[in-house]
Amino acid sequence: MKRLLAILLCAAALAAQSGPEVLRAKCQGCHNAKNRASGLALDTRDAVLAGGNRGSAAAPGKPGESRLVSAIRHSGELKMPPGGKLSQTEIAAVERWIESGLDGMNGPEAKSAPKHWAFTPASRPAEPAVGDAGFARNPIDKFVLARLEKEGLAPSAEASRETLLRRVSFDLTGLPPTPAEMALFAADRSEGAYERAVERLLSSPHYGERWARHWLDLARYADSDGGSRDEPRQIWKYRDWVIRAIGSDMPFDRFVVEQIAGDLIPGASPDQIVATGFQRNSLLQIEAGTDREQYRVEAVSDRVDTYGTVFLGLSAGCARCHDHKFDPLAQREYYQLFAFFNNVDEYGPALPPFSETNDLEVTHRPLLALGKPADTARYDALREQMLALYKERFDYKERAKPKGGDAGLAARNETIAALKKQLPKVELSLVMRNLPEPRETFIHLGGDFLRRGVRVFPSMPAGFHAAPVSKDPLTRLDLAKWTVNPANPLLARVTVNRIWSHYFGRGIVETENDFGTQGAKPSHSELLDWLATEFVARGWSQKAIHRLIATSAVYRQSSAFRADAARVDPRNTLLARQNRLRFDAEIVRDAALAASGLLEPKTGGPSVFPPQPDGAMDASQVKKSWKESKGADRFRRGMYTHFWRITPHPALVVFDQPGAMMACTRRSRTTTPLQALTLLNDAAFHELARGFASRIVKEAAPDARIGLAFQLALARDPLASERDRLARLYSVELDDFRTRPEEAAKMAGAADPELAAWTSVARVLMNTDEFITRE
Amino acid sequence: MHINRRHFFERCGTGLARIAFASLLAESAGAAPKQPHFGGKAKSIIYLFMEGGPSQLDLLDYKPKLAEMNGQTTPPSLLEGKRFAFMERMAAPKLYGTRSKFERRGQSGQWISNRLRHVGSVADDIAIVNSVVTTNVNHSPAMVMAHTGSMVPGRPSLGAWLVYGLGSEAKDLPAFVAMTSGPRGPRNATDIWGSGFLPTEYQGVPFLNGPDPIFNLQNPPGVSTERQSRAIDAIRDLNQTRLDATGDSEIATRIASYEMAFRMQASCPDLMNLGTESASTLEMYGATPGKASFANNCLLARRLVERGVRCVQVYHTDWDHHTNIERGLDKVCPEVDRPAAALILDLKRRGLLDSTVVAWGGEFGRTPMREGGEGAAGRNHQIDAMSVFLAGGGVRGGVTVGRTDELGFKPVEDPVHVHDLHATLLRLFGVDHTKLTYRYQGRDFRLTDVHGNPVRKLIA
Repeated sequence: MKRLLAILLCAAALAAQSGPEVLRAKCQGCHNAKNRASGLALDTRDAVLAGGNRGSAAAPGKPGESRLVSAIRHSGELKMPPGGKLSQTEIAAVERWIESGLDGMNGPEAKSAPKHWAFTPASRPAEPAVGDAGFARNPIDKFVLARLEKEGLAPSAEASRETLLRRVSFDLTGLPPTPAEMALFAADRSEGAYERAVERLLSSPHYGERWARHWLDLARYADSDGGSRDEPRQIWKYRDWVIRAIGSDMPFDRFVVEQIAGDLIPGASPDQIVATGFQRNSLLQIEAGTDREQYRVEAVSDRVDTYGTVFLGLSAGCARCHDHKFDPLAQREYYQLFAFFNNVDEYGPALPPFSETNDLEVTHRPLLALGKPADTARYDALREQMLALYKERFDYKERAKPKGGDAGLAARNETIAALKKQLPKVELSLVMRNLPEPRETFIHLGGDFLRRGVRVFPSMPAGFHAAPVSKDPLTRLDLAKWTVNPANPLLARVTVNRIWSHYFGRGIVETENDFGTQGAKPSHSELLDWLATEFVARGWSQKAIHRLIATSAVYRQSSAFRADAARVDPRNTLLARQNRLRFDAEIVRDAALAASGLLEPKTGGPSVFPPQPDGAMDASQVKKSWKESKGADRFRRGMYTHFWRITPHPALVVFDQPGAMMACTRRSRTTTPLQALTLLNDAAFHELARGFASRIVKEAAPDARIGLAFQLALARDPLASERDRLARLYSVELDDFRTRPEEAAKMAGAADPELAAWTSVARVLMNTDEFITRE
Repeated sequence: MHINRRHFFERCGTGLARIAFASLLAESAGAAPKQPHFGGKAKSIIYLFMEGGPSQLDLLDYKPKLAEMNGQTTPPSLLEGKRFAFMERMAAPKLYGTRSKFERRGQSGQWISNRLRHVGSVADDIAIVNSVVTTNVNHSPAMVMAHTGSMVPGRPSLGAWLVYGLGSEAKDLPAFVAMTSGPRGPRNATDIWGSGFLPTEYQGVPFLNGPDPIFNLQNPPGVSTERQSRAIDAIRDLNQTRLDATGDSEIATRIASYEMAFRMQASCPDLMNLGTESASTLEMYGATPGKASFANNCLLARRLVERGVRCVQVYHTDWDHHTNIERGLDKVCPEVDRPAAALILDLKRRGLLDSTVVAWGGEFGRTPMREGGEGAAGRNHQIDAMSVFLAGGGVRGGVTVGRTDELGFKPVEDPVHVHDLHATLLRLFGVDHTKLTYRYQGRDFRLTDVHGNPVRKLIA
């Protein structure tokens, strides 16, 4: 039998293909240097030896131990090729070739495609020549104007001074100008008045808040875990860190490094460790009976995906299950990135199950204690003791199976409770903390954490700028430094593009989350590179970029629709005018707070609980309380509203606040009837309308009230027609309330028909489209 | 789970053509009614979602052999490689045969338990699927999977995809509504009726159990209907002035949204007033006006569909019977059986069943093994088999699709993954599940991810 087989094989060998020919014909369509299905190329000897996600494909001289052979023989789990089994002669050819030591395979000819624009370093473009020399205020304008002139379009005129100041105040601080600021600006006709206003706004503490909120969208910041239980979590210190870092114009490279690896910086300060909360904003699932490893893997993947989206503008998540089809990220490289983030403790110390302790903060949270050094040291020490006791109590329960009334159990409970009472008051924040022993990382075949491929180690993807060379294993800190290396062509481009998108409603690259080969091409590629290089040259100062954009003539244009421009450029991609943009959810609230005069301007601190409709917490599985904040905390800016992932504040949801489930690079902007119901009827907005009305009455003489109301709500004077319309409403309402004093009392909180009628006027202004729109 | 490799290419290969919207500032235009990919009978869906995991073995999947082997130790070969929640409770489990009585019902002779005797009376209208498979043994991820096609929260739900794909036909109501009854809210509330990365106008609006189904439906204190109407007139006039000055069509949308809000305020009391239903209709559902219940929600669901609402999710959250399953089913089946059947009958007699899909099912099934002691028997979570039934909207009535092995451990014929179920539901609406996509973070997403095939046997 054996002999017969040998004769057959020899006979076949004379006529049949060689092993490499079989591979070329049947395998290399998927397994080539470019596609690398499952990480495997079969087009060079080295590639075959290097293997793929499952390990080496062939052992020279040993076909019986070669994965390639078991795959084509269908003798193992993996059966290849997918289209149908190879013939016996083909299989034999491959076996012979392996037996012979894999000789006689020539690599494919190297083909070099031009590199995708976003992966090449930004070069500094020259400022283009423009026809209209009077328009440009800075280089931004020349790039935009040159493009417009190519289409035969002229830019729009500058917006009115009122519109300008309101626009830039909301864009930089999320708050309107006060009437005094507006009056000052209107009166200051000297050179540089607008630029001085921009400087004032950039140094306002509210600038830090506004731009922190944009960043928190990327960081998927929330005050709870998500998942079925949606337990509260302490991480507002991270939110405050972002506010301070942006407010003080921390160089962006440092800002990035501290969020990726602040804990690994030698001699890291508590602040630098708090910054790593960026990565702790992932969801946490503690439902009883849950497979913890599965959720831990999900959290790590979320960190890799967020890293890719936020810092590289790439959809790294595609490579979780297979090599990225279009961008230079192999599945193996995804897990090499994964390895950087795979080395932290997801659930804190997590000794006994949560249900055994009901003490999430002590047992299940990787928390940093903040406060006086003596307090934090004591807190940490006590927590260690409690952990040991929880563990001991758990062991005792397992061992002794105590019944109710067991003295041993009661004593243990008491000891733990006594320690808990002694915990000093400190502030806590979720942070990254490496495990003492690094966790091993494997490729997850098909993205399934139960199907292990080969082991991988932390390293940067190869398709980008050079990775550091190090004898020691690379760490998150190495990744952070690699990310902010000016040789990285993506970070600066992606960042300035996102900043730009907040000023115009759309990025220069419209797919602000995809700079890969499938993303949109930049509408102004030279402008993008000019801004990116400028950002790095100015020491990664975000304020420098804000200053450039906010003082540019392009930004200062009127937003009025232009039919002539729309014919050429219906989506206003070329920016022949500004865009009107509805405020983000939090800013809708801030605008109402500002008009009402009730705004509490304090920055930072624990999240607060402004009024919300009854029933807003009903939907969750574990019903949470919502204890309305009293006093000034009732009137904090929208960004401080406690964010429950499962039951977020309804007024924020209807205005498109993102759900904080994953990084959000662009909010949607919808217009819906539920928004109308919120502004018209919500108790919180009604309270602010009352505040607004009493301000109108208090701060202005009767004939100046409509004017003041317009200033407070819209930062401009009314047109005659608008003034008449409100005057008419006021007089009808006043007459009506005089005949119905009980309604006046309900409306205004006091039986004062005048105040009630002004409340009607205030409500109307607060419900106009303009009130919630940046013109 | 079947992965059609070609879908990978289709997903990542789609070019820029799919980028969101014609106009950056006019996303709201997305809610207008739109044409499906091909003809489909369904216009609306009412999904009766039985949260907790109803026991298919006591309701819809008849297993005489399991009853025969009741009390015997489960053959270990059947447990190999299986995953359960609370693994520690599952050492050497005993088989547990149903205590419920099954009968062949209707002309079609489908096996249905007497615990669902009213559902049995519409046996010829429903298709029973006994081979539905899901991927995760825990409630939360299984809930998110059943609604969004992914176990990780953050993707759009079935209803959101439908409204995104087909728009809204409701003039004064949200296009997608979620209602809840039972001892507590469903898990992962906002995830399961959320819009994920789709614009929020596509998300489900949770109806509250009370006279006002929506937040902020009542005018503030001191504001009568006339006063509200005057305010909206003034708002419209000011908005119109601004529209004239700026030419921004989004202001016209804003004006329309205030008109619709006012209509919603006017129409919701009428919608919610079940007192206008005939006594016989109320009796048929077992509904009592003013008393929140699954029955009331089923009746409301019909009223919503009549008013053009695209998707109604009706949750009942009392099906997690780890122990004392008999007592549990004694309580919950009567709460659900009659209203579910009444809904199908009521839709049918009003000519609405042809255009309305009614789906009934949970996030997973339950095990053939007993959990808990003999006196307090229950069943654990089971992901390899559960039962779902469908009716209306182009569903083929009177058929049972999919068969599990004789003990009910896993499908042996026509397995239907949750992705397949989703693909089928979209197909009933004339929507090709591979073509309903949305580009986010550089990728085209869809309800069925990279999976799913419509189940032809379920479609008439």
